[in-house]
Amino acid sequence: MTLLSVRDLTVRFATDEGLVTAVDQVSFDLEPGEVMGLVGESGSGKSVTAKSIMQLNFGGVRYGEGSRILLDVDGKQTDALKLKRPKDLRLVRGGAVSMIFQEPMASFAPAITIGDQMVEQLMLHKRVSKAEAKRTSIEFLERVGISDAPRRFDQYAFELSGGMRQRAMIAMALSTRPRLLIADEPTTALDVTIQAQVIDLMKEIVAEFGMAIIFITHDLGVIAQTADKVAVMYLGRVVEQGPVREVIRTAAHPYTQGLLNALPDLSDLDSPLKPVPGDIPSPLERPAGCVFHTRCPERIPGRCEAAVPAMAPLAPGHACACFARETEGAA
Amino acid sequence: MSRPLIQVEGLSVHYPLKGRLLGEASVLRAVDRVSLEIPKGSFFGLVGESGSGKTTLGRAILKAAPISEGRIEYDDGEGRHDVGAMTNRGEIRDFRRRAQLIFQDPYAALSPRMTVRDIIAEPLEVMGITRTRAETDARVREIAARCRLNVEHLRRFPHAFSGGQRQRISIARALAPTPRFLVADESVAALDVSIQADILNLLKGLQRDLGLTFLFISHDLSVVAHVCDQVAVMYLGRLVERAPTRALFARPRHPYTRALLSAIPSLDPDDRGRAWKLQGEIPSPANPPSGCRFRTRCPFARERCAAEEPVLRPLAGGHEAACHFAEELEGAVPA
Repeated sequence: MTLLSVRDLTVRFATDEGLVTAVDQVSFDLEPGEVMGLVGESGSGKSVTAKSIMQLNFGGVRYGEGSRILLDVDGKQTDALKLKRPKDLRLVRGGAVSMIFQEPMASFAPAITIGDQMVEQLMLHKRVSKAEAKRTSIEFLERVGISDAPRRFDQYAFELSGGMRQRAMIAMALSTRPRLLIADEPTTALDVTIQAQVIDLMKEIVAEFGMAIIFITHDLGVIAQTADKVAVMYLGRVVEQGPVREVIRTAAHPYTQGLLNALPDLSDLDSPLKPVPGDIPSPLERPAGCVFHTRCPERIPGRCEAAVPAMAPLAPGHACACFARETEGAA
Repeated sequence: MSRPLIQVEGLSVHYPLKGRLLGEASVLRAVDRVSLEIPKGSFFGLVGESGSGKTTLGRAILKAAPISEGRIEYDDGEGRHDVGAMTNRGEIRDFRRRAQLIFQDPYAALSPRMTVRDIIAEPLEVMGITRTRAETDARVREIAARCRLNVEHLRRFPHAFSGGQRQRISIARALAPTPRFLVADESVAALDVSIQADILNLLKGLQRDLGLTFLFISHDLSVVAHVCDQVAVMYLGRLVERAPTRALFARPRHPYTRALLSAIPSLDPDDRGRAWKLQGEIPSPANPPSGCRFRTRCPFARERCAAEEPVLRPLAGGHEAACHFAEELEGAVPA
């Protein structure tokens, strides 16, 4: 039973300079307990894709006609994009779907204690008494490794360190026992040592609660350490997706290969650093054809700028959208 | 070997805290008795977690943080300054021209109301380096081209540029007054990996072509590994290890350095959970642990570590580490 099924998701924003496409025809499935990494540079549309599930995109957002986000909760199917009333939206905003953000300081209200915020959302989503909500909150704070949880419960976000705040954020997101957790760059603002702790915690959570996670990051190392499968995005399109081992070991799309090559290699300090050449184009100037053709080392003149390559399977579950790979397969 | 460009001796930066403890004003020891030399023409890495004091040390060297104790000497062969003792405006101006800072966040560092041309030209005009508008324009175009900025785009505003391009604008501005020494504080931390490599290559190229000296501050050891010749590791205001880059990565001698290295996420999906994880977080610099400051998180800590503070001492291969047990701990695995 598929938990989440995103089909042909297209997201545009109306701006002063015209309609800007942020996400273009994105499709993927997520099973319960599966961790999917969503990778890409700033501007690739990974956050907009995830926020669409919770309808958290604002500012003149327009979803495409055929876009579907099907969520299957307890045998009941819902199209998240069709939800309108605030009461119905609760399902995707903290009920069956929760989100943790990159900057926990900005995600907690500064003048309300951590505990009050946790209790408030628990009472909103679950039929529990205030005392029960408090007990559950403290339990979850302890569960994510916050020592002295009853005292922390009464503290404000500014009184906690960065790592501690990120743990509290995770505790809050987990406490309603969502089926899907969206983690938007949850470790990017943290030191490597604290990042390692948070990654461990996320892995334990999957093992214990069996929820599905969409892990948004630009760090392929973090993906390798946490995800089961990966979707690589560039300028709003998924260019490659597949199981984490295949995508990292046998990356097919020139962009995925470029991202992997750009990572500093600690086992070979003499190797030069290889950036992906050029800059990501502005979404106002989306290239025609394959969106990556302006930076692609394997561009086929006359073809890549003329048509959009479709996702084509390479191996079971592993697919890539690139004309250069298609011709290889045909030959 | 020529004289170092920067010589730091016993430097402390302490900030007084508001609260008083038992009648005695408490202080936050951001940097505590640090000594180091940055050789001329080198790419010197300074590594540590948030709260380690690396940024404060960088600022103190640029005369942008109060020096409580110790000395900082700057000598690029043409200009020589005692950074702490400088009071004369002319002297400070000369130093500011020679030593520049590149900021971390290319989104916050550039004024949204100034064109790229004006951003790069401002230091030239303020410091009186160029006399005429034509001279300024020529200099701006020269620097922009060196930083691989499209000179046709100089009349645009920063919002029209991507993160990587903005960082190149930020670098161009820092280069405008022809400095000899640059402090790059987390200059690639806010950038995507695909662009990080490009900016690092640019900085390396500038160092090589213009003979510049860099102090490269970062929390990311994998980045430091590729660009720096020497690395110093800080923890809670103290220097805990210093070595040539290769020696440091081949044979880290301080448990903290080993922990930092082991925390870098491996790209191998089958290599999960191999790292030994550091427990807890960095303690407050207002109330550091006695003895070795790392002992509260060190898996190898013993009684002596609480009683006696280890000094930075020379080991084989130009390596220095501040750990009582550096020799016997080599290769040891935490229980």
